[in-house]
Amino acid sequence: MVEVQSSHDITARAEPLLTARGVSKHFGKTHALVDAALTLRPGEVTGLLGANGAGKSTLSRIASGHIQPTDGELTFDGAPLELSSTRDALRQGIALVAQETSLAPDLSVLENVFLPDLANPGHLSFRAMRARATDLLADLGHEHALPLDAEVRTLSAAQRQLVEIAKALALDARLVIFDEPTASLSATEVDRLFDIVDRLRAGGRALAFVSHRLEEVFAITDRVTILREGQAVCEDVATSSLTQGDIIQHMVGRDLGAIYTKRDVAPDAAGDTVFEVRGLKATPWVRDMSFSVRAGEIMGLGGLVGAGRSEAMEAIWGLRGRQAGDILIHGKPVNLRKPADAVRAGIGFVPEDRRAQNIVPDLSVRENLLIAQMGQHKGFLRGYGRKAEETAALLADLGLPADRLDTSLLNYSGGMQQKIIIARWLLTAPEILILDEPTKGVDIGTRSSIYRLLQDAADAGLAVIVISSDFEELLGLAERIVVVSDGVTIADLPAELLTEEKLTLLAAPRTSTERNQAVLSDISAAHGGDAFWILLDKEETICLAQAGEQLSGLVPGQAAAAHETRIPQAISALGADFIAEDNGHRTLMTQMTDRRGHDLGWIGLTLPENADVPEPADIRARVHNLTHLET
Amino acid sequence: MAEPTSAANGSALAAKVFRSLEFRMLCLALLLAVVLSFASPFFLTERNIFNILDQSVVIGIVAVGMTFVILTGGIDLSVGAVFGLTGIILAQALQIMPIPIAIPLAILSGAGIGLFSGILIAVFGLAPFVVTLGVMAIGRSLSFIFSGQRSISGLPPELDSIVYSTFLGIPANVLFLIGLYLLAWGYLTYTKGGRTIYAIGSNHEAARAAGLSTLFYSIMPYVVSGALAAVAVTFSLAQIMSADPLAGNQLELDAIAAVVIGGASLYGGRGSIIGTLLGVLIMVMIRNGLNLMGVSPFWQGTAIGSIIILALLAERLINWRSARA
Repeated sequence: MVEVQSSHDITARAEPLLTARGVSKHFGKTHALVDAALTLRPGEVTGLLGANGAGKSTLSRIASGHIQPTDGELTFDGAPLELSSTRDALRQGIALVAQETSLAPDLSVLENVFLPDLANPGHLSFRAMRARATDLLADLGHEHALPLDAEVRTLSAAQRQLVEIAKALALDARLVIFDEPTASLSATEVDRLFDIVDRLRAGGRALAFVSHRLEEVFAITDRVTILREGQAVCEDVATSSLTQGDIIQHMVGRDLGAIYTKRDVAPDAAGDTVFEVRGLKATPWVRDMSFSVRAGEIMGLGGLVGAGRSEAMEAIWGLRGRQAGDILIHGKPVNLRKPADAVRAGIGFVPEDRRAQNIVPDLSVRENLLIAQMGQHKGFLRGYGRKAEETAALLADLGLPADRLDTSLLNYSGGMQQKIIIARWLLTAPEILILDEPTKGVDIGTRSSIYRLLQDAADAGLAVIVISSDFEELLGLAERIVVVSDGVTIADLPAELLTEEKLTLLAAPRTSTERNQAVLSDISAAHGGDAFWILLDKEETICLAQAGEQLSGLVPGQAAAAHETRIPQAISALGADFIAEDNGHRTLMTQMTDRRGHDLGWIGLTLPENADVPEPADIRARVHNLTHLET
Repeated sequence: MAEPTSAANGSALAAKVFRSLEFRMLCLALLLAVVLSFASPFFLTERNIFNILDQSVVIGIVAVGMTFVILTGGIDLSVGAVFGLTGIILAQALQIMPIPIAIPLAILSGAGIGLFSGILIAVFGLAPFVVTLGVMAIGRSLSFIFSGQRSISGLPPELDSIVYSTFLGIPANVLFLIGLYLLAWGYLTYTKGGRTIYAIGSNHEAARAAGLSTLFYSIMPYVVSGALAAVAVTFSLAQIMSADPLAGNQLELDAIAAVVIGGASLYGGRGSIIGTLLGVLIMVMIRNGLNLMGVSPFWQGTAIGSIIILALLAERLINWRSARA
């Protein structure tokens, strides 16, 4: 595989490919853009940032011809640009890779890549298209990632995005705008996408990257433009000259302070175990999941998209069938067959998809707020009056005036909608509150108030479970994190022991850890003893996998205090040989890094007292082969 | 995203009423009444008003069931056939058993047919359009079989007391219609079941996730619709004193039209029982007025069809304007 230049050394910056000045866009009374500006240069990635509703999407849709601006000047390649349609834009070489992909789900990958061509008169050569598509995907470094004949509806979100990008390249797009491309991708998929963005940048294309995930902005962009309420408040500034705090301040117009404020919880503050799940199985996504949560605790359920977290919760909630597993509330098994059972058992659940699974659009805000308590009580009447006091208190808490209760929930921002959905469940006075991606699509200003809402709930004694793909959020919010991979719970650790890197390793799909497991088994089979893979911190070790006779005392998915093991000595003797432990065991530690030099932790081998000691170099060679194979 | 501006409290209610669809439909109905009373001197007589109400009973009863179904996002094409079939069942039953047993039997048959459709739709996930289309064909065919392809007369004379007894000068069937609409309105507005029906039509998945009994309330509207078709045919038999296997032909289209004129969305979640009542009255008034003016009955379809399309078009234009304003 070709090593891609990740930093680009353009000494003299190229002439702008696209400029937009003084752009405004009105939808009726709503002014989506007031005075927006954007400059995109070849060979650069420009981050287009802003809180929700700041106009990022509107500006990218104007630049790509989806909508026409009310006012403003655009130039492309030095000439004034007027786009009347997306076809116009594509002809000029401007493509948008949108949040919701614009693919035809029933057509094949190949037909989608050349979709704009299908509209042209004349004969299509499928053989030529196939060859071209293979080339395009090879350029992206993904020649084998996509079956060209697969129907697009069968593809994952990441694969669909790849089709979108290939579609843009098929038209020789010189300018590609990515509109929140990482919103539905897992961490590894984001890495792959960044790899593609790197290649496109190296190929001299001008790229815009719309996002509100700051860590991504720092990882991939060269310049940033920040919009606030439709206005460019910071235009074409070098990313390296800004701090995270600067960007947030530009986005929200005020200093937010830290987004995450840890609760003050005494180590033993959490109460009894309220909710426990054992051996949950709901095919095909959930294979064997167990976890528990205590009163007053926020437990994070981490893992990649597709690891089966949402599906597990839906199975608990009675939205999916369960094949096996016990659910216990206060230690007593409960049989939850449908959502109403779960609601009455004292569980609240905010599913992931706000629009599809939470909002009832034709009911007013009031009815949306009261719908869960209506599902909870057993009366014949709707019973809206039952919780009048609690409703009033909650509304005051949310900052929502009572006279707006009869309007449509769709008129509110994503953040306010989410707060109302959470309030819907708080009104049922649950003991357990489960939230699936509670800050998805919520702007940064509202996020912290949602965190506060959850922390208050936990302070009041609720057991809270938060599912999130955003590891930063999990670490900032939860006290304990259960990691799920491929439908199996593989770790249950206190948040303070974890970092984003460790979580990423723990959450890696089983298919990639299986290879490591195989190597451990290999080593242990060849030399006897206990082979293990650990992550090492100052005081703790976290075991990721283990094979062979149990000698080290390490259990996968659990942490152990480092001083209880002899690992520090083994590591201090790195490069040398096996070291002897007090109990006669001998241990060798080898560090593992991947091709890019990232630390993947340590592989260790502990041998019993009388075993033959193999050559350390042999084992190192095995480990090296493992990690430097083609992925 | 602009949050809605808060309206001043005093005029808020009035503004809400004026903005509501039912209000506009009421204006349309009144306008129609004014036009028709100018067009025909007989239109605004007491006798004709009772005539209009009397003619509203059958379609009005069926339209209540249709409103329930359409609010969940479904459709019931079988009501006309169920009307015909339960009419035959009632007439045959009356030959061998007393009225107080025969009528509940007919209503139960209607409810049973609705239950059959509802289970196919809600449990097996079949499309409402297709299921009720099938049931419509079966129902019409069975009503020919059970009747021996002829009208059944010779019904007990006491049956007509259902229609021709009066209370405070109001005929029993009209009184029943008013009571039914009050009941349906109260149910849809103030009960858990009623709100669940709206929530199912608006977002089935969200309603289920909120712990509402979506399965039960997805089936129930079809049961109500089938049962009400049988109730409607009972009033019809009591007036005509004979059962025709072809009775209720295209009644489903009239009922759907009334519900749609009343402002319901065929996608579910939006609509009201008051709107349906106005829709029924508008349809019946047009028919009645055209009859009084001596217009050929063959033109009535054109008139009603045009009104439906114009009402929907006006609604769409108003929505566009208010979305833009």
